[in-house]
Amino acid sequence: MKTDGNRDPGAGSRKPFWYLRRKNVPSEVDEELRVHIEMRVDELVASGMSREDATREAMRQFGDLEATRRYCREQDETRENVMQRTLSIQDLGQDVRIAIRSLMRVPLLTATIVATVGIGIGATAAIFSAIDAAMLRPLPYRNADRLVRLYTDTPPFKFRFSAVDYLAFTEQQTRFEGHATFTDRSVTFSNGQVAELLRTRVVSWQFFSVLGITPVLGRDFNELDGRVGTPMVAMASHTFWLQRLGGRADAVGSAVRLDGNDVTVVGVLPPSNSPLERRQDLFLIQQFTPPTRKGPFFYSVVARLPEGADRSLAAGELRAIHRALFPIWKSSYQDEKSTWSMEDLKTNLVGDVRAIAGVSLAAVALVWLIACANASNLLIARVAGRRQELAMRAALGASRGRIIRYLLVESALLAIGAAAVAIGITYGGMQLLQTLGATYFPRTGEIQFTASLGWLLLALAISSALLFGLIPALNATGGSVDEALRSSRSSTAGVGVRRMRRGLVAAQFAIATPLLIAAGLLLMSLNALKSVNLGVDDQILTASIRLPGAQYREQARISAFWDELQRRLESQPGIAGVAFADGRPPTNPGQHNNFDLEQYPAGPGGSQQVTAWVGISPGYVNVMGMKLMEGRLLEQRDLDAQNAAQNLLSAIVDQAWARRFFKGESAVGKRFKSGGCTQCPWTSVVGVVSDVTYDGLDQSQRGTVYFVTDGQPFRYLAVRTKGDPAQEAATLARVVRELEPGAPLSELATVDQLIDQSLVRPQSLSVLVASFAGVALLLSVIGIYGVMGYYVQQQLKEISIRMALGGSRGDVGKLVVGHGMGVVVAGVIAGIVIALMATRLMATLLFGVGAADPLTFAGVTTLMIVVALMACALPAWRAMRLQPAAVLRNE
Amino acid sequence: MPANPLPLLQGTLDLLVLRCLSVGARHGYAIASIVREQTRGDLSVEDAALYQSLHRLHRQHLVDAEWGPSENNRRARFYTLTPAGRARLREETANWRRYARAVDAVLQGA
Repeated sequence: MKTDGNRDPGAGSRKPFWYLRRKNVPSEVDEELRVHIEMRVDELVASGMSREDATREAMRQFGDLEATRRYCREQDETRENVMQRTLSIQDLGQDVRIAIRSLMRVPLLTATIVATVGIGIGATAAIFSAIDAAMLRPLPYRNADRLVRLYTDTPPFKFRFSAVDYLAFTEQQTRFEGHATFTDRSVTFSNGQVAELLRTRVVSWQFFSVLGITPVLGRDFNELDGRVGTPMVAMASHTFWLQRLGGRADAVGSAVRLDGNDVTVVGVLPPSNSPLERRQDLFLIQQFTPPTRKGPFFYSVVARLPEGADRSLAAGELRAIHRALFPIWKSSYQDEKSTWSMEDLKTNLVGDVRAIAGVSLAAVALVWLIACANASNLLIARVAGRRQELAMRAALGASRGRIIRYLLVESALLAIGAAAVAIGITYGGMQLLQTLGATYFPRTGEIQFTASLGWLLLALAISSALLFGLIPALNATGGSVDEALRSSRSSTAGVGVRRMRRGLVAAQFAIATPLLIAAGLLLMSLNALKSVNLGVDDQILTASIRLPGAQYREQARISAFWDELQRRLESQPGIAGVAFADGRPPTNPGQHNNFDLEQYPAGPGGSQQVTAWVGISPGYVNVMGMKLMEGRLLEQRDLDAQNAAQNLLSAIVDQAWARRFFKGESAVGKRFKSGGCTQCPWTSVVGVVSDVTYDGLDQSQRGTVYFVTDGQPFRYLAVRTKGDPAQEAATLARVVRELEPGAPLSELATVDQLIDQSLVRPQSLSVLVASFAGVALLLSVIGIYGVMGYYVQQQLKEISIRMALGGSRGDVGKLVVGHGMGVVVAGVIAGIVIALMATRLMATLLFGVGAADPLTFAGVTTLMIVVALMACALPAWRAMRLQPAAVLRNE
Repeated sequence: MPANPLPLLQGTLDLLVLRCLSVGARHGYAIASIVREQTRGDLSVEDAALYQSLHRLHRQHLVDAEWGPSENNRRARFYTLTPAGRARLREETANWRRYARAVDAVLQGA
């Protein structure tokens, strides 16, 4: 950048743009030496020499003129450089002092810019930290890029492995360096006084070595531990060791009581937030007994590929093993389309968070952009208001570069303030995301302040300073000084400023519109989710109970417990009915099962049908308040017959199931075989009941099969209460404790609470996006209000003349409002176009509303227009109340 | 004029220039004239070296420079001593005297 037209600092020298008061060294040296020679010549001429001889003599006496010229220039340049550097540091200090003082004089403006830009930067950085932890950083395991997850691939489903699968894989695989399996189980832990439910993961002995985790105390599992017959052992998590084992070293080797059995703790894991270990209390050793049928598919498998392995060969081997295995177990598993596949462990654990990450990051980053545009706008207005002051400084000798620098110092100070706010917001946001973010981000336990986050904060702060600093600065210093000094309301300079500000406001509206539309769509989805009919009464209290395995081995003992519990609870005054089930709405069906319909058998190569499969006690349908649509309910005699035959004989289905498989006919009397069992007898549908949601409120009803059962040690309890269900929680806990102190009651929740829990995720996302959209709208309104206020200020004279010439107040109002709304409408239209392109990307987050929902688009557009109208109305009203005579007199 | 003017010892020229300026502001030509006059041609001082010395001293902030009209109304660059230059002159003068005395003493003694 050229700084000063009058004094060119010399060709070829590269100078920074603040290099301002440079002397022209070469010409000064030349002049000095020339004067010297001239003086000498004059003297020699005076002593009688001819001018020609005198010149020659003077040159001779001088010596090497060229070398001297060069040397002197060099010395002077060096001196100048040093002085310039000192001066510019002094100037900078002065600029900073002046800027701080002048910003303190406008506290509201300063606070607005610092706070809004700070929030924008901070929120962006906080969301980035979550995305960084979830998606960008590798998993915290040794050589995590070589870890893969294996699964049974039956598009569109991905199943885990069965024991058969894993054992076959273990025997036949050659292309994996290591592998392990894990499956989750909750167990009852008793320390002698109270029983509680632990989260445990049952893992094969190689689990920790495959992941590269070494216990901090004790030993890892070994092969012997995994053999049937070896006493059960467990590995304690660091938290469990600290909280339940007293954090003592001698805890290793001691026994803990799990499900009534003593299990020896052999080691303690390091503290960890890694996705495969976090929030687990204990790890139990997996011992495989030879399986008798192909299912069930309970086992997750991780495997490690060797260094530089060809993934396609490994995948090929998986398919080959599965193909060889398939015929052996055909009697209990017929899905010919299935195979085995693998995927990166990280992909598997992180899942598809791109939509959520994109929406939340876009929301905060756009707010940051709007905040910068707003700040830019406010600063342009401020600079425009100070044109005379700046022109004065220019007239007193400050160069354009110097003034730009001063204005940039102001912006830099604002950016530093914003960065300070941002660091606070980032920190708070990270805390919040660690705790609450878990509902929509994986790996939130790994959120931390990394170097890349620091760089992002720095980059955002610098970009902010440039965004809101450079435009006003360049704007302010354009145009001639004379003009700015002379005219009190510079109308010519105003044109450029006005155009710039209108452009910024239009951009604000163009950014705010898609944000508000996104927020609107999310809120519509949330609303749609809330109005989903769960299909059960709301006067119901639910909880889960796990019976300790050691005391409850026999079937009879287990069913006796449930019967007795039901009897005791039903004798309580506030309780109207009690039932049990393996699943619980709205998100837990207990299990899914595959089956073959008698009427529509799966053809060769076809897949079996799969639906939710809920085991219930006979009273369940009535207690939950479901309706019998057709046929009859399941009764105790069904259970007895089923137990006698050792097979499932009768079931009831819901309307969705009946609709799905027997559209237009009655499902009652239809028969199927469950679980792919070919030798089993037929199961008959005896009744059809109303729909209940088990697969999540945002999923369409895919049908449910209910069957009676009484032999499960883990069940959900459904209690119909006479009054407020929350009031009966204490009664429930007391009755269960009296009956079996070793069976902890957990997951206590009323139906309303269950719905709320399942809405936490969409709710928190829509609150996040909506609050940022609100900020965006507010900033846009501040923008249009500021611009219109400035416009009226600038046009006082013109408006007054209009009114003096007979223009009505209505005309003036229309002029002002029309002027402002032109900007707003242009911005909103651009925003709608952006939204139409962008909201499609968030389709997976929406429920019951299209990505281009016309109602939402229209509603948001109306909202923006109305709010902008109100923002324009105030300046317009002020313009209409002008006293033209007074204004014109003052001009 | 003596037959062989003596070459100047390294660093001595700076001392002479400082001394010339100790009485007031002077431009380069005046300094050259004074040096020539006072040494009566015993020392050979090239104008080139003199200007180099002036600019060197200027860079070291021992002298200040300012443009002004000369006696015969030319625009000339006038040099003055800065406080640092005055201090340097005192110091270097003392050094020179000590040096000369020491060399002299040896020469006399031998």
